Amino acid sequence: MICLALTWLSLGQASPRANDQRAREIVDRVARLYISKSTIATMQMQINKKGRQRNISMQFWSLDESKILVRIRLPQEDAGTAILKVGNQIWYYLPKAKRTVKIRASMMMSSWMGSNFTLNDLVKQSRLTDDYEIATSFEGVRDGVAVSEYTLTPKPKAAVVWGKITLEVRHGDQMPVWQRFYDEDGKLVRELTFSEYRIVDGRRIPTRLVMETMGKGGKKAVEQTTITYEKIVFDEPISEKLFSLGNLKQ
Amino acid sequence: MIGRLLRLAWRNLWRNPRRTLIAMAAIAFGYAMLLFVACLMAGLRQQMIETGTGLLLSDVEVQAPGYYPERPIDQTLGGSNGTDVSALVAAIAANARVQAASPRVYGYGLVSATQQSIGVQLLGVVPGQEQKITTLQTRMVKGSYLTGRMPKGVVMGDKLAATIGVGVGSEVVLLAPAADGSMGNDRYTVAGLFHTGLDAMDRGLVIMPLASLQELLRLPAGGIHEVGIKLDDDGITAATATAAALQAQLSKTFPVRARAWPALVPQLADYVEFNRRVTFILFFIFFLLAVIGIVNTMLMAIVERTREFGMLMAVGMRPAQVVGLIVAEAASLAAASLVLGGVLGAPLLWYLQIHGLNLGGGRGAISLAGVVVGPRWYGRQDFTAYAQAALGLAVTALVAALYPALRAARFRPAAALRKV
Repeated sequence: MICLALTWLSLGQASPRANDQRAREIVDRVARLYISKSTIATMQMQINKKGRQRNISMQFWSLDESKILVRIRLPQEDAGTAILKVGNQIWYYLPKAKRTVKIRASMMMSSWMGSNFTLNDLVKQSRLTDDYEIATSFEGVRDGVAVSEYTLTPKPKAAVVWGKITLEVRHGDQMPVWQRFYDEDGKLVRELTFSEYRIVDGRRIPTRLVMETMGKGGKKAVEQTTITYEKIVFDEPISEKLFSLGNLKQ
Repeated sequence: MIGRLLRLAWRNLWRNPRRTLIAMAAIAFGYAMLLFVACLMAGLRQQMIETGTGLLLSDVEVQAPGYYPERPIDQTLGGSNGTDVSALVAAIAANARVQAASPRVYGYGLVSATQQSIGVQLLGVVPGQEQKITTLQTRMVKGSYLTGRMPKGVVMGDKLAATIGVGVGSEVVLLAPAADGSMGNDRYTVAGLFHTGLDAMDRGLVIMPLASLQELLRLPAGGIHEVGIKLDDDGITAATATAAALQAQLSKTFPVRARAWPALVPQLADYVEFNRRVTFILFFIFFLLAVIGIVNTMLMAIVERTREFGMLMAVGMRPAQVVGLIVAEAASLAAASLVLGGVLGAPLLWYLQIHGLNLGGGRGAISLAGVVVGPRWYGRQDFTAYAQAALGLAVTALVAALYPALRAARFRPAAALRKV
């Protein structure tokens, strides 16, 4: 009798936990869509700000999740700039100054190269599930597509800047549709929209990401940055030596 | 009639020199004390304004309309919106209240040495010209301020230098988001270190030649962010009025906004106003002390002379004439005493203005509400306050004499003669 009651109790708890676990898995997978044993990518970044447009072309290498190298190819005035991240340490190689400088982690949260992305967006590969509690906040059909919406709230001691993140994922192929970032007052700060889903190296990924920063009063902003993956290769062997300070200036 | 009364009053004063000198000493000492307090308080206000605006801000700033307060780096004067910067500076300098004007560029970025980088404010100034509007060059502790001969020289706060581990002659790298969206970067040499006592400046400011910062930030050719202006009078009212006059004068030709320091740093203006009120209360307390001394002396002097007034009335002086005589005596006494007080106080005021009082006891300046005070506390001449104090003391002396005078005038001569 007692055994039965215990079984019943644990069953009663098992169901929401299983649901929670599934939400975590989906969010975790979405956050790590572009991460593999190794990744090599060519990216275009188009920044639209105050009616002006700027294009940055860059190449991206990552290895074992902890090592990342980004090299800027264009425009001319930034060409040769390289960013190296090994563990939690970040260095910039500055071609004009011909020097490598170490960047504080706190600098990662400000606008990168005048874009609507932060350096953190580009090179942080931590699992969202480490810092956030995840709950399913919507399940159903939106715009004719079956989707789930997940709400991520920071864990009490997590060192994160967002007050809340929401993420919409399509049921069919588990692809992200959009991700919204809120500040601590619950105001929408920026929105990332995913599109142009393609199968690359047997993986389905969105190849176009648009980040919009909201204007004051939550209005759609005139500032936006689009990242387009032109080429992406997963799991090709890369030498560890690529991620060394000596190799930065090339 | 009045002339005769004054002559009589003056003669009366010197019939008893000791009594008169005691009364004069009371007023003169009270006045000198008020001069001293007013001078020190005006000096404190001045030092607040000077350290708050003089080190870096300047008295009036002229900028493009959309520049303040966010200071976006692409809102330049000159360059894209076509303002002729040298014509603008010349037009500003033409104003009679303007002592000097100098263009500036602002940015923010990372200053980096071998293993450390820190976010800082970047300020580009014209070496040789900037020193006419601000006084940071007087706070150099190592090396020297910017000169035209070192285009890649920078000066920074001593605490910033200590944090990133550089000294005079060291190389630093600056990394800054440029106006075109790119990442400006270059190498510079530390020419000097300053210490202001204000942490925000000592830890977070790098100053460099204007042309170098324009290049780092890739500003449109000749583009600047503001013209800093030094005025002949930087008091709250004067600075605000001059900024308004400059605005009216400039806006005919240039699309600019002129703002005086009270609009740029309202908290400093509030603090100066607060200090003015506190000063007034303090001044009033000193004033009351002076008044007590004067009233006491005047009352005694007149009560002592009851018999004399009785005699005058017995020989036919009318009560109104007695009152007139006493008031005339008090007025002459007050006037002579204030002159004496002024003569005694003047060297003191001069000393305060030139040498100041040593406050710090060798421990350097103290920072208070974002304002550095000391280590020497200098006085400043506040002639309005001096005039107010003189007027206040003269009125006090007259009122203090009037009361016993009216009483004396009511005496019956016989009764007054019997007294004392």
